[in-house]
Amino acid sequence: MDENLTIISTINMKSILHLDLDSFFVSCERMLDSSLNNRPVLIGGTSGRGVVASCSYEARAFGIHSAMPMRMAKQLCPHAVIIRGNSGTYSKYSDIVTEIIKTSSPAFEKTSIDEFYIDTTGMDRFYGTYMWAKELRQRIIKESGLPISFGLSTGKTTAKIGTNEAKPNSHMQVLRGEEKGFLAPLAIRKMPMVGEKTNHKLSLMGIQKIKTVQDMPCELMERVMGKGGVSIWKKAQGVDNSPIIPYHERKSISVERTFEKDTTDVVKLKSIVTAMAENLAYQLRNGDKLTACVTVKIRYSDFTTESKQMHIPFTSVDHTLIETVNQLFDKLYSRRMLIRLVGVRYSKLVGGGYQINLFEDSEELVSLYQAMDAVRNRYGQDAIKRAVSMDSRAIGRANPFNGQPPVIPAHRRA
Amino acid sequence: MKFIVSSSVLLKELNSIAGVLNASNTLPILENFLFSITKKELVVSASDLESTMSTTITLDKSDKDGKIAIPAKLLLDTLKTFPEQPLTFVVNGDNFGIELVTDNGKYKLAGQNGDEFPKSPDLESPAKVDLGADVLSNAVNKTLFATGNDDLRPVMSGIFFEIGKDNLTFVATDAHKLVRYRRSDAKGAKAASFILPKKPATILKGLLSGKDGDVKVEYTDTNAHFSYNNVTLVSRLVDGKYPNYDAVIPKENPNKVTIDRNSMLASIKRVSIFSNKTTHQVRLKFAGNEMHVSAEDLDFSNEANERLSCNHDGEDIEIGFNSRFIIEMLTNIESENVILEMSASNRAGILTPSEGNDGDEELLMLVMPVMLNN
Repeated sequence: MDENLTIISTINMKSILHLDLDSFFVSCERMLDSSLNNRPVLIGGTSGRGVVASCSYEARAFGIHSAMPMRMAKQLCPHAVIIRGNSGTYSKYSDIVTEIIKTSSPAFEKTSIDEFYIDTTGMDRFYGTYMWAKELRQRIIKESGLPISFGLSTGKTTAKIGTNEAKPNSHMQVLRGEEKGFLAPLAIRKMPMVGEKTNHKLSLMGIQKIKTVQDMPCELMERVMGKGGVSIWKKAQGVDNSPIIPYHERKSISVERTFEKDTTDVVKLKSIVTAMAENLAYQLRNGDKLTACVTVKIRYSDFTTESKQMHIPFTSVDHTLIETVNQLFDKLYSRRMLIRLVGVRYSKLVGGGYQINLFEDSEELVSLYQAMDAVRNRYGQDAIKRAVSMDSRAIGRANPFNGQPPVIPAHRRA
Repeated sequence: MKFIVSSSVLLKELNSIAGVLNASNTLPILENFLFSITKKELVVSASDLESTMSTTITLDKSDKDGKIAIPAKLLLDTLKTFPEQPLTFVVNGDNFGIELVTDNGKYKLAGQNGDEFPKSPDLESPAKVDLGADVLSNAVNKTLFATGNDDLRPVMSGIFFEIGKDNLTFVATDAHKLVRYRRSDAKGAKAASFILPKKPATILKGLLSGKDGDVKVEYTDTNAHFSYNNVTLVSRLVDGKYPNYDAVIPKENPNKVTIDRNSMLASIKRVSIFSNKTTHQVRLKFAGNEMHVSAEDLDFSNEANERLSCNHDGEDIEIGFNSRFIIEMLTNIESENVILEMSASNRAGILTPSEGNDGDEELLMLVMPVMLNN
């Protein structure tokens, strides 16, 4: 076989495996407490504003799904066990699974806490990719004790949809050439990228099944939805060449908080954005990063969301960032309306330490930041903070710069 | 008005003042050279409102006194092409048309009324000091790179001239690095100081490099006047108080490193290629008589490490710097070895030449580190 043919055949043999832990948070809780087995379990915010982050299949039988308000879920299934959840525990179990995948696969991408893509191209040379995937799944179930499902196909999209169809606790393969037929009868909503809004738009066009998109001309999709439309059209054809990205470099870090009760209390709001700015600044320094763009976001009680951003010289020190965040908040919050959510984001991140200023930064200030960071590193992020942000509950979380995707519950995913 | 001047002499003089010209001006007349003649003496000026530069040429022949503004670019471009020859300028006083007559050609330019050209300010009872051309050009050379670009801190965008009774000090800083150049062989009659903006400083550097003789400096609170031979430069000074630079130079520096300048420069230049493209951060680690230079760029998994021997006196220390600052500083020092003094990883590092600092000149460079996460 000459060289060109080899390359072509390798491309044609591309195979992608998608793994997804079934009702991951619930499975983790069941590892800790077996009395939860076979019972409806809800995990998520327990306050009035809370939403379901994850629910067991027993609970789904009552019509509960993730992102549903907890209050509504309680009405649907009053006898369900409700747990607040602990992201530390989930990260730990996720790491166990990641470790197994890392040791056995050639290249993988962790897209969220419970989801993985593996590039299995070429694994068939030994004893068939499907066989290999099934053995990997058994190994994960045996070693971690967590149920997991997978879909095996030629591209990310089809593999993921395959997993979702196979669930729970099962697996499936979509062979080369059969992708289109597999996708055709499925609802358009099942495609990744198609969220509530896109779905609504498409249903207005009379599109319900993926087949309709398959039969449409690509140009029509482009005219209606722009570039995203072309991407959806291609994926509907079963064509998805997006690669496996092994390491995720964080481009921004952010926190946001929804209040239990909407508020206009400016003192409280400012203490919360200050706490957020302070904590994120610590995250930056801890990850050896600098930011050049600060964004503050607020959502009013009527769900209108506004944000304002500002570019600043590269920095990671509290005083500049807290001041910028407060300035932005003052400019942004001018309507005296009830606020539902506030958030702070630092973007335009680069690797490096803060360049100390000869005249503005006193030696004491720099030493203070370093000492405070040392205390936080040893005793936790809430061990020391500014008095103004004392009242705000814990905002800290795990190091965001470990190359892993953020721990975002299912209902918050795009 | 009519006068005759040698093409090469005129071109040479125009070139020496053309540095003041801006590419774009708020006042269109500033795109011209001002020619003014008084008794066979031709003074050509160029200005950007902040600084005005003039040069004097003695003419062999001129009929009467007067002023005319001649388009600078057009004139320079033409003169560059001429071989050496006498040029006759004939100026029409009514419509400011200029006719340039050469051996074998005639060129017409549209000038402007010379009276509309902004006048350079007269200095009222200025203080005076004479400086060697080499002293001044050296001082500007050593300090210019450390000036800032921040429009919000205009005082840092110039070179601070501090004239003392025993010495002369030149300082530049952008708040991240600082250079202090002191001469004990030049002094003023009474203590004074001013901040010279970056552009006239650059022009002075070009004018005086490699020249002998003295530069007459006259200054008031608002303007400074430099004259060297037949060329003068009047510049508006930066208004404001210069930061107290002496207070931020650490006096106690228990860590002292003596190192070969060229090897350090080469090493940091090489390692910095592997550093982050935005922050240019390098780490220096001094342990025993060894300097360890390292840089990394996580985005591309680039990493470089080098070791250099040095003479190190003090505790082990690890400190991070923007490599561009270090490179600029080492490039602007001439001695074979340099001394780097430090006290802590979050305090300034001080770089001085190991030789030549005990005579008439004293050079000190300071660089602020970056905060390292250990």
